[in-house]
Amino acid sequence: MMELEALQAVLPEFRELGAALIAISPQRPSYGRAVCRRAALEFDVLSDEGLKVAQAFGLVFTLPSYLEELYRSFGKTLDKFHGESAYRLPLPARYVVDRQGQIHGADVNADYTVRPDPEETLAQLRGLSANSERPAART
Amino acid sequence: MTLQERLDAFKASFESGAPPFNVPRSAIEIMHRATEELRQSGQAERALGVGARVPAFALPNQDGQIVSSADLLAGGPLVISFFRGHW
Repeated sequence: MMELEALQAVLPEFRELGAALIAISPQRPSYGRAVCRRAALEFDVLSDEGLKVAQAFGLVFTLPSYLEELYRSFGKTLDKFHGESAYRLPLPARYVVDRQGQIHGADVNADYTVRPDPEETLAQLRGLSANSERPAART
Repeated sequence: MTLQERLDAFKASFESGAPPFNVPRSAIEIMHRATEELRQSGQAERALGVGARVPAFALPNQDGQIVSSADLLAGGPLVISFFRGHW
């Protein structure tokens, strides 16, 4: 949530650079709807149920059984959110992709409490604009 | 405050054992162990990185409308944020 809010704060600058922003989580669309409303997000939160897309990026891991037990004891049931019984999650990751589909920025961290500042992402996008014809700003 | 400063502040509060979370020390240690094992697995380094091509995808958004990577990229560069849920 904190990361999504921080990204929302720089969304106008992303758009100024002609870039779009999306978030992807394993949760159902209803969860994305709740997040968008609560954080007043103006970008799409996509629902990757079954984690197929996260898998294609190599981001999916299975929680060790001892952590699964701990979360169960907290009453956090991932299967309730995800619609699947396996305790799997994506590594948190932020990607910058050029319009040809090539990845120019990738920040993947095993520690979900460490996230890159949106300014780093802006710098990567500016690098893209400098290297190619500047795309039209999005509205 | 930067994003990381906000995350650090939340983490300190969460791990303090104090209200509103009241998380016992034993639970914090279990979470640290899991993060450390995940770090040592090297998976983050094996995930798609700079220079790779982004896999094509089409997923429903918060309103149930299908959004495709092809449509997004047709308009320009794209920033993708993978997140696990509450964090």
